[in-house]
Amino acid sequence: MELLCNILYDTIYHSTPIILCVLGGLFAYRANVLNIALEGMMLNAAFVSVLVQYLTGNIFLAVLAAIVSTMLWGMVFSALGISFKGNVIVIGLGINLMTLAISKFVLKIMSLANISLKNIGAADFKIDIPLIKAIPILNVISGHPLITYIAFLAIVFVGILMYQTKFGVYVRVVGENEDSAISLGINSVYYKYAAVLLGSFFCALAGINLSLERMAMFTGGMTAGRGFIAIAAIYCGQGKPVVSAGYAILFGVARALAINLSIYAGPAAGMFDIIPYVLMVIVLAVVSYLKSKNEKLRIYKL
Amino acid sequence: MKKNWQKVLACILVIIMVMGNLAACSKTSDSSGNKDEKDSKMKVAIVCSSAGQNDNGYNQSAVEGAKKAAKEFGIEYKVVEPTTGVPQALESLAEDGYSIIFNLEYDFEALIKGTGGAKPIAEAYPNTTFICMNDNPNQDENGKTLHKNVISVLFDVHESSFVAGALTALVIENADVLFDQASYQFTKADAGGRSIGFIGGTNSNGITVFSFGYLEGINYIAEKLGVSYDYYAKYDAGFTDSSTGGTVAGTYYNQGANVVFAVAGSVGDGVTAKAKEVKKLAIQVDANKDDQQPGYILTSVIKNTEVPVYEIVKQAVAGKLAEMDAVQNYDLASGATSITDLAVIEKHIADSGKTKWEEIKKEVAEAQSQIASGKIKVTNAQKGEEFKAEKCPNVVIK
Repeated sequence: MELLCNILYDTIYHSTPIILCVLGGLFAYRANVLNIALEGMMLNAAFVSVLVQYLTGNIFLAVLAAIVSTMLWGMVFSALGISFKGNVIVIGLGINLMTLAISKFVLKIMSLANISLKNIGAADFKIDIPLIKAIPILNVISGHPLITYIAFLAIVFVGILMYQTKFGVYVRVVGENEDSAISLGINSVYYKYAAVLLGSFFCALAGINLSLERMAMFTGGMTAGRGFIAIAAIYCGQGKPVVSAGYAILFGVARALAINLSIYAGPAAGMFDIIPYVLMVIVLAVVSYLKSKNEKLRIYKL
Repeated sequence: MKKNWQKVLACILVIIMVMGNLAACSKTSDSSGNKDEKDSKMKVAIVCSSAGQNDNGYNQSAVEGAKKAAKEFGIEYKVVEPTTGVPQALESLAEDGYSIIFNLEYDFEALIKGTGGAKPIAEAYPNTTFICMNDNPNQDENGKTLHKNVISVLFDVHESSFVAGALTALVIENADVLFDQASYQFTKADAGGRSIGFIGGTNSNGITVFSFGYLEGINYIAEKLGVSYDYYAKYDAGFTDSSTGGTVAGTYYNQGANVVFAVAGSVGDGVTAKAKEVKKLAIQVDANKDDQQPGYILTSVIKNTEVPVYEIVKQAVAGKLAEMDAVQNYDLASGATSITDLAVIEKHIADSGKTKWEEIKKEVAEAQSQIASGKIKVTNAQKGEEFKAEKCPNVVIK
């Protein structure tokens, strides 16, 4: 029973940054500018939020700085990738490398191995929900930082934005057939910019959640590939908000299982870490098989 | 017509570049030649591990050692953070005439065996002495030394881990008295509080050596008091993902563990952050990191690279480098490895526990002296010694 609660709690804990990244990458994916800089943007936000909090002691300022700086990276990405029509993969890779290097460089200048906040702790950010806190099992929902709640609510929000609003429809049209979108008078550049910037906003939240809210510290390269897992989740969910977020949660489940069962299974519990990867390969294989089966192409077959 | 112009221009540019390169090359060789004549100062280099020279620990203390030696013996030293790989750094430093090169990174393949068909670096530069830290790669299967100009430095961290283990058990037994109940939330000893966690970065001898020493230290006290401890260990936490490290520690703390010992780089920082969150204790490694989360880090198991760096340079200045053994062991007595002086945690001991704390410190010191005198023998996984669980009947490994 307690084990189950722990697993559920950790699932929510580990899913959050991935969900936010997935939601962030979705619009860009749908607008046909694949943003592989999710990782770098998340790392940037994680770094800036803790750094500003460390220097000023003001949480509001820290969050603001993290969001603004990450959206600046979003601007860099879109300016190079959309306005100047550069290769988005190369630009994304560049941002990933740069944010990692910048954070390490600043740490080096400050002669710090990592930044750990003294005046504030992870416990300060936890929010207990009064009623739910007392209900068994359901109480795992309580006791998370604010952005965790925002992340789960955002799944619904993004779903609505994507399918029920003009904005979402236009973004998808631009992604699916840009020429027809332009012929209809849609400003495709504007929608692509908006998609990327919205993405970097969500990445900023993911980064703040990862470092400031949950650990009150920053260590070099702490995102540890979560941004790429998010990209895999987007592909598996074929860019559908709820399905993709579902895959993000699946990663959270696997991580939570691996961690919690290690008490009972020892190092063998690390095997759970491979579940999502195996699942993804299978899902991607099946999806692409089904797709290719439905497309009748006149090609030579081996 | 235009194309010809371009061709000519390109040719000229290429020639200029080549000339520039040649000029640059000859220039550098000139200057280095001059240098050799000019100063006969001994040149020492330190190749940092990936943590970098400001890691407030392992690398930084090596640099301190070099600084100290430079002041005393007038040597010249250089600190390098390799960007294109350790082998390249070693090679170019040796080429530059550095006579002692400390390699703090765990990367010895090219140095000892040679990679890609090349000669081992140690063989290519026989006049340079290379120092390997934390491992003894300089031997063949039969334990025969391969290169004369390679010295391996091993820290007897199993002994300091033993001391940390003894301290941990003593603190858990007396947690009620020692610490203010309001600011800590220890699990009571009879409610599963006799549990301890260990988180290692990777499953290698360099990591398990800490765990086994620590285990035996816990067992030493547990046996004395006739109690039994649970021991949770994870050896695959990696070195970067501090967030996951924090959750792993969280599950241990949830299970009732009151202290978690992390030997996993930045992951350890995540563990200490978690300790602060749940108001329990953690143990750090490599450097004195007690004030990272003051009051929530019991102690740190120190690997003080300053001592061997200074010592080896001192021997070299005296011209006795060749007489040094190929494997240098630095034990508790040398000061190169130990636990911290506990000054930071001491500030957080409640008034009621002051006398008990002094007793504990005395008992820990006694364990320390018993190790030094050889009365207590601690398993050293670094040397390939195998850990026997039967030896620790009072610790249950989960």
